[in-house]
Amino acid sequence: MKSIYFNSILILCMAFMIMSCEEEEYAIPQVPSGLQNDCIKHSLGPNVVGLNMEFAYAMAIKPEEGKLTSATVEASIEGADGTFLSNKSYHTDGSGQDIGIEVGDSSRTNGNTTVVNFNRDTSAATLRYYYTIPEEARGKSVTFTFSATSSNNETISQVMGPYDIAEMDFELDLIAQDSGTAYISISDMQVYTFEEAQANPDKIDLIYLYRSLDDISFGHALVSPSADSKYLPDVLVPAGVNNHTRMVKAWNIRDRHLARLQYGEYVDDRDLLEIDFEEAADYAINMREEAGLWVETADNSYKAFIFINSTDSGSKEMTLSIKRIKVN
Amino acid sequence: MKRNINQLAFFCLTLALLVSCHKYPIDEDGLLITDRSECYVSNFELLGSDFRTVRTKGAEIDTVAQTIEVEVFFGTDLKNLYPQFSLITDAKLEPKIEGKVDFSDLDNPRRWTVVSGNRKVRKEYTVYVTVE
Repeated sequence: MKSIYFNSILILCMAFMIMSCEEEEYAIPQVPSGLQNDCIKHSLGPNVVGLNMEFAYAMAIKPEEGKLTSATVEASIEGADGTFLSNKSYHTDGSGQDIGIEVGDSSRTNGNTTVVNFNRDTSAATLRYYYTIPEEARGKSVTFTFSATSSNNETISQVMGPYDIAEMDFELDLIAQDSGTAYISISDMQVYTFEEAQANPDKIDLIYLYRSLDDISFGHALVSPSADSKYLPDVLVPAGVNNHTRMVKAWNIRDRHLARLQYGEYVDDRDLLEIDFEEAADYAINMREEAGLWVETADNSYKAFIFINSTDSGSKEMTLSIKRIKVN
Repeated sequence: MKRNINQLAFFCLTLALLVSCHKYPIDEDGLLITDRSECYVSNFELLGSDFRTVRTKGAEIDTVAQTIEVEVFFGTDLKNLYPQFSLITDAKLEPKIEGKVDFSDLDNPRRWTVVSGNRKVRKEYTVYVTVE
């Protein structure tokens, strides 16, 4: 009795395994009839004025039904100079390289609308759209309508967005030099010399200096003009330059827009606004390459993130990039 | 022989059940109150607002005098530091560290109490910070 029961279970298990291992035969997906399209947004991170938003727009129709004749993108806010729809269809080869093949005339932009007319018999294409974010879009949201037409008079479209455009500004690769352009303005996002700082004392938010001191790790520093003189050793501060700038040191925030490194990290408007400067210091000593600094100006008008792209102790200079948002 | 093996297995199983069923009480923080009476700090770290160490060298922990001496870099923002204590197993720290701690008043060093796993031994540690 016991062996019958055991054998029955065994047979059932084997039957189950045989059934579950049956493979379904692969079938090539059927191409739907009519003009088809799809779109993805390529660019990541906050959408900042002056930068590109990049999209890939794919469209296709069965060869026996017709050919692609045009691709159009309409933005809800007119793009800045540099906005275009690529006339090349891209695919990725076996080694991961993007290969572009020209399929149409160069794009024409008229107001909000950018068009590429196909000049080769094309049944399927993926065009790239680059929207240069204009000043008018700051703090607003933008929507895009991608559409394609085919020779059999079909039209298809896809709406992308809305996408929020950041309030922030940014400036890349300012070079601060000890005893040179050592005076940094957040409101202007510029570096100034001693004489220029003296002429614009209200604008100076930070002083850059490099010191190699015995028994002290001082190195590269960004210091508020009003800071204790021990943090500004042998620095002659121009008359009238006395802003009390508050700052918080940061590390491992390699904002991709500023650093242009491989890290997918971004500082957004919200990050800038949420940093608490209540008990913040007015100096940052011993700053290193790839370090960061959250900054609030003395008049609370601006909050900023400074990324240190590089430092050079020999020439006593620092290359820095700034993201900044106006608060008041 | 077979009977002996069965008896041994039964004994082991019973023992395992008894051991696993031993329950420790839980304190107000949801932590187990155990039998351990050891009570000391085994390691100490001090991080800046950028979550990097501000120590110039390892902290000196004296478990007899119950002191921790730590030297920090020149220019360390003493108002915004994150202390980290490593404690002996099952011990806990009072008061809890829930964010930044202000160490700027060097004349009045900060103090924390280590409480043993059985909650019967309490030792107050004083953290002395000096600047490079």
